[in-house]
Amino acid sequence: MKNVEASIKSGNESLKTKISELAGDLGYEETAYHLPVTYALTGNAVKNADDARSAYQRTGENPFVACECYTASVTAENGKEPAPFTGFLPDADLRKMGYSLVDGSILGLALVAGSPPGADVVAGICRELQEKYMLTFLAGDVVGTLAGSGVKVGAEYRLVPLGSTPLRGIHFVDIIARVAMMFGGVSPGDPDRLISYARERAKAIVIVFPGLNDEEIAFIDALSILGIPILSMGGYEGGNWHLATPENVVREGMDQKGIKVTVTAIPIPMGCSPAFEGKSIRKEEMHVEFGGGRTPAFELLRVRPAADVTDGKITVIGPEIEDVPQGSALPLGIIVEVAGSAMKKEYEPVLERRIHNFVNYGEGSWHVAQRDLVWVRLSKEAVSKGVHIRHIGTLIAAKFRIDFPNLLDAVQVTLITDEQKVKSALLEAQKVYRERDQRIKDLRDTDVDLFYSCTLCQTFAPNHVCIITPERPALCGAITWLDGKTAFEISPSGANQPVPKGEVIDATTGEFEGVNRFVKKASHGEVERCCLYSIMENPMTACGCFECIAVMLPETNGFMIVTREFKGLTPSGMTFSTLAGTIGGGAQTPGFAGVSKNFILSDRFLQAEGGIERLVWMPGQLKEELSERLLKKLSDSGRQEFFDRIADETVTTTIEDLMDFLAKVHHPALDMPALI
Amino acid sequence: MTLQTQNIWNGRIGTVTIGADRAHGGTRTLQYTLGGEQDLAAVGPGATQQRPLIAAEICDDPGIWSPIVNTFMGDTVNDTAGWAGTMESEYHPDIVRLHLTSTRKRNFKDFSGIPETVSGVLKSTGLPLIIEGSNDPSIDSEVYQKCGEASSGERVLLGTAEAGRYRSIAAAAMAYNHCIIAQSPIDINLAKQLNILLKEIGVPYDRILIDPYTGALGYGFEYSYSVMERIRYAALKGDQDLAMTMISAAPDSLNIREVREARDDETDRTAATWEFYTAFSAVIAGASIVCVRHPLAIPLLKSAIDSIWPHSAGREA
Amino acid sequence: MALKALDIYKLLPKKNCKECGDPTCLTFAMKLASGKGDIEKCPYLDDHAKSVLGASTKPPVRKIKIGVGERAFVVGEEFVQFRHEKTFYHPPGIMVSVSDTQTKPEIEQIVTNVRDYVLTRIGMDLRLNGIAIRNDSNNPEQFGTAVSYAEGCADLPVVLMAGTLAAAEAGLHECGNYRPIVHCATRENYREYCSLTKKSGAVLAIRAGTPDEMAELSTLCTEAGQDALLLDLSSRSLRQFINDSTIIRQHAITRTTPSLGYPVFYDATIPDNADAALVLGILKYGAVIVIGPPTRPSEKALLTLRQNIYTDPQKPIQMTAGLYRVGNPGKDAPVLMTVNFSLTYFTLQGYLESSRVSCYMLIVDTEGLSVLTAVAAGKLNETMVRDAIKKYGVENEVSHRTLIIPGYASPLSGRIEEETGWKVLVGPRDAAEIGEYLETEWKA
Repeated sequence: MKNVEASIKSGNESLKTKISELAGDLGYEETAYHLPVTYALTGNAVKNADDARSAYQRTGENPFVACECYTASVTAENGKEPAPFTGFLPDADLRKMGYSLVDGSILGLALVAGSPPGADVVAGICRELQEKYMLTFLAGDVVGTLAGSGVKVGAEYRLVPLGSTPLRGIHFVDIIARVAMMFGGVSPGDPDRLISYARERAKAIVIVFPGLNDEEIAFIDALSILGIPILSMGGYEGGNWHLATPENVVREGMDQKGIKVTVTAIPIPMGCSPAFEGKSIRKEEMHVEFGGGRTPAFELLRVRPAADVTDGKITVIGPEIEDVPQGSALPLGIIVEVAGSAMKKEYEPVLERRIHNFVNYGEGSWHVAQRDLVWVRLSKEAVSKGVHIRHIGTLIAAKFRIDFPNLLDAVQVTLITDEQKVKSALLEAQKVYRERDQRIKDLRDTDVDLFYSCTLCQTFAPNHVCIITPERPALCGAITWLDGKTAFEISPSGANQPVPKGEVIDATTGEFEGVNRFVKKASHGEVERCCLYSIMENPMTACGCFECIAVMLPETNGFMIVTREFKGLTPSGMTFSTLAGTIGGGAQTPGFAGVSKNFILSDRFLQAEGGIERLVWMPGQLKEELSERLLKKLSDSGRQEFFDRIADETVTTTIEDLMDFLAKVHHPALDMPALI
Repeated sequence: MTLQTQNIWNGRIGTVTIGADRAHGGTRTLQYTLGGEQDLAAVGPGATQQRPLIAAEICDDPGIWSPIVNTFMGDTVNDTAGWAGTMESEYHPDIVRLHLTSTRKRNFKDFSGIPETVSGVLKSTGLPLIIEGSNDPSIDSEVYQKCGEASSGERVLLGTAEAGRYRSIAAAAMAYNHCIIAQSPIDINLAKQLNILLKEIGVPYDRILIDPYTGALGYGFEYSYSVMERIRYAALKGDQDLAMTMISAAPDSLNIREVREARDDETDRTAATWEFYTAFSAVIAGASIVCVRHPLAIPLLKSAIDSIWPHSAGREA
Repeated sequence: MALKALDIYKLLPKKNCKECGDPTCLTFAMKLASGKGDIEKCPYLDDHAKSVLGASTKPPVRKIKIGVGERAFVVGEEFVQFRHEKTFYHPPGIMVSVSDTQTKPEIEQIVTNVRDYVLTRIGMDLRLNGIAIRNDSNNPEQFGTAVSYAEGCADLPVVLMAGTLAAAEAGLHECGNYRPIVHCATRENYREYCSLTKKSGAVLAIRAGTPDEMAELSTLCTEAGQDALLLDLSSRSLRQFINDSTIIRQHAITRTTPSLGYPVFYDATIPDNADAALVLGILKYGAVIVIGPPTRPSEKALLTLRQNIYTDPQKPIQMTAGLYRVGNPGKDAPVLMTVNFSLTYFTLQGYLESSRVSCYMLIVDTEGLSVLTAVAAGKLNETMVRDAIKKYGVENEVSHRTLIIPGYASPLSGRIEEETGWKVLVGPRDAAEIGEYLETEWKA
């Protein structure tokens, strides 16, 4: 057992001696970067032993500089080591390597050094590194041991034997230094930028077996300055080295460095594509079904700590497909557990809704509804091709990883088909649903610091900016604040951006300094101010996708609302399409606003103008659609009689008759402060 | 008083250098620095105006090229390098754009042919190059690596990156010091998003050209025209993520009905006219490089561009 | 700055009398705000309101009608600098020039071509608009005769490129009642031209060196009683044209220099590069453009460019729904369904044609929305597809019952199958892949 700290000390001493003994010229061929690590750290080209000593001094006796100068000196003296060892790689090879890293065909770099206990252990680790698209460099005994195991080495196998001793691992560092200078714009002589580049961009890990001497330990330990995790297979104590087992070392290393394997294929015996989304599975075509009222069924997605989620793990609790006859109905609980450092609890419902799409992507799987109302079928054809219940889990897990690579690191799925267990899990799920509903329902604009923007419609309404708040969904009705937030997390450069509220300018009209700043920029300077809770004063612009238009009717001192579905003339004298044509296109039109249906029920709707009691007319269909929630809202504040004071087309579609009606029912808008 | 235009700008178009002459480590006879404009195309003081460039498009497999061009050029199209040379010596474009159409064949495997083709073209013309690689993600990695390596030092413009597949092209640009074309489907926000994605993986903004996708005249060109105007407008208003020069090519121009069905004796003229109307309009909307396939479109464009930009700014001889 | 609807409403009588033809004052205010209303239609406006509204609700670029009868056209009435801000409303009139030194048959041949040439694209008939007669002879009498030749064979709007007052008079003698354009007045002779053209109701093109001088001259002309004006920017370099035309459009639409609020006249035959000048005229606010007799390729290209630029960006061009043939489809030919958004239609059609597979395109009316938006907005659904199959008799045209739908319409595939009884194949999302798709997937 070597003590790392003690070894570093003595190792550095002996490296120092090596440097002092250097003589003659030294250098590499086929590179424009001289001795790359030294060049990157000092900006100086080392050409002989004296240059080397001065660089070593100037870098505060940096072990990399020592190893590099020593290796270069040995190479200059004895020539390159014989095959299979590659020694120093020329710039041209490096460009290709860098290319593969940016390109994504290599996910990261690994250095493996030391003396493995046996061929099988190192072969297993190397195979795993190959499978995970890591480019692996080998230095020292590990090369010889591996040769005995039948694993082929060479660049084409992504296993590069650098040299016969662990110190030759310095080439691993000169590669990182050159990549930083070639691709990262790091200038020679800027050690701070080199280190920050290596820490942030170099996806590298090092795995060490026992048997390193003190110099080698000093060299390996120095890698941690570059942010490279050191994983020890035993034989060392102390220092910041992580002990790992052959089974978990690759995964641990990649996790520590945040190297993610991207999933591309979905290993199930049926096609999986959005093209199958609309295919339904009729009763006659169905092999087994779940839920849909016949059996209890639900789906639930939860975020869990990383340690509790094994990526790709699928568990079926209860009968599998072969345990039930064709045409059966089974209960089903789909429990998706996800982990990811960027994943947050509030994204759960948004992601959970994707289960519906994913299951439908399967050529022989079908899904409707959500939560505890789900209904899932597998087709006879799919089952005859070998599809099992567990494949629903495989499909869901893989699709989540493919579609949300930045958000999710691991996804595991549990499918419960045992009735008793489904029933008890269902109770738990229902509790979660209730909590979520409550949380969203209770979320107020005042509870958050960030709103979200949507500029998707700028394609045809160039200056339109939708501001989405917890209480005001996008005017198209399609994007809630949570959707906007999730969309931003998943695609940070997309059309939904965070909008800091900033100072409150006017809480009643909903004017915020941060919103104004954002809107001005995103509208290319066209819109200076935006009041979120007002229609009369600097209202939000309208693109054309609005679910409804709210229109001030000056005669009534109130507002009417018309929906896209309502084709007739309204009391404003205009139809929906005429109104839409005039106010759409990204213009700010006081007195007119595009709104979503759900916003009508919010207390922020018409807040600046005095609230819902300004409402004088809306189409009957909308009134019907909103009635339950609107009545509740009104009765909560003891105003339920107001509901019947809102006219619809069965009352009138002309302004004159509307005025008569409002007078007759003593509509409150008539007595409110004048709007204009 | 003297009346002036009233747009208030607070941004400028970034610059990008294409081609490397001997003084800059390449073998081109000239190189261009584009961009730097501070107003709409052809508006405002001449000093801020760069002359737009004309790129002549050729390919290495004429089997999927316009039959009109193939007929017009005759046997030349079967000799990619010779074709490039002929374009330069007889039609005088500013740039040659090489489409590696051979990579579009199903199960393409001849990766070693790519460096051969590219270096052949580099030898036969001294003009800066645009190289268009594959459009199949499964071979992108290999194709672009070869393109980038074969033209190393020449600072070519590599095409075409899209939101779903840009890594290989970006990697080639970064590894071999080239520029890249970032294409988005006629949508200003997607154009911006792609630029940000490219920046995130390390491509500097002075190596990116925006291709907003150009529909053929009569077949959606109006969308492209407006999106180019909007990108230029946003850039001049100060949006850094859109302040790149633009490249426009209407790849379908010679496939549309009006051109295909022209009278035999009018085919070439129709093809050239159609390309001219499209490309020249793109220039006015703000494109800095316009690409055409029919050789006869080049003199038409040249004369039109010369009459607005008589000086040859942007050219570093 | 244009007034918003509610600002205008405040100035209206608020009587909802309906005498303007609109049901409410608010409706009328909305129309005025978008520049589409006419304040004269309101009988109850007081003078104050009229003066405020008059200046701010009339179109910033004056609307001018050229010619009479079927081929008369309107220019001006524009509101924006870039078409994406709203739209360009009135496409420029393209006037083909003849010289008074040409023979009668020569003139007649050109005029007949302008009269008869039609390019039909996307359900629209595109035409050249009129004739410009040049006074090259410098002889008023000969000029008048040439005008009579042109008038003799077609009722087309004309430009009298008279050059002199005497020639203008001779020309007007032939066509004075048909709202021709008289070209052109300058600072030196505007009074005479104004009174001449005012008398006959002709439109007057005026020429001045700079936008400033143009503004002054137009003011002088309106003071002299002529306000049917066109601003001639012809004798400029192409770059100068772009600059001046941009300045004039901006000053007009921002109403900072209302005297520049007139359509632009551009003689594209003057610059060295006539094709380039014509393109610039179309793109950069030309309202009346004079060209030489175009070649057939140019003729098509210029009419197409003009149609493209003057398409309303917010109202995509729509194809008429129906069953379209590509090649010579037989009973076993594939049927591909898609939407009536023109770009979708043409893109798909182009790829189908180049794939050389004869087939049918079934175009469903989605109000011009693309597949993706139509599906999202519910403007494309299974009953529409069913009805289209019935309405256009697809079942009589093919012997099979298989429908290929666009990739983005895949969520509808099951419901379409149920509703129509046809088997549904989901095609690619990108039309470029349709050739390969048909090759590998299609069997009747």
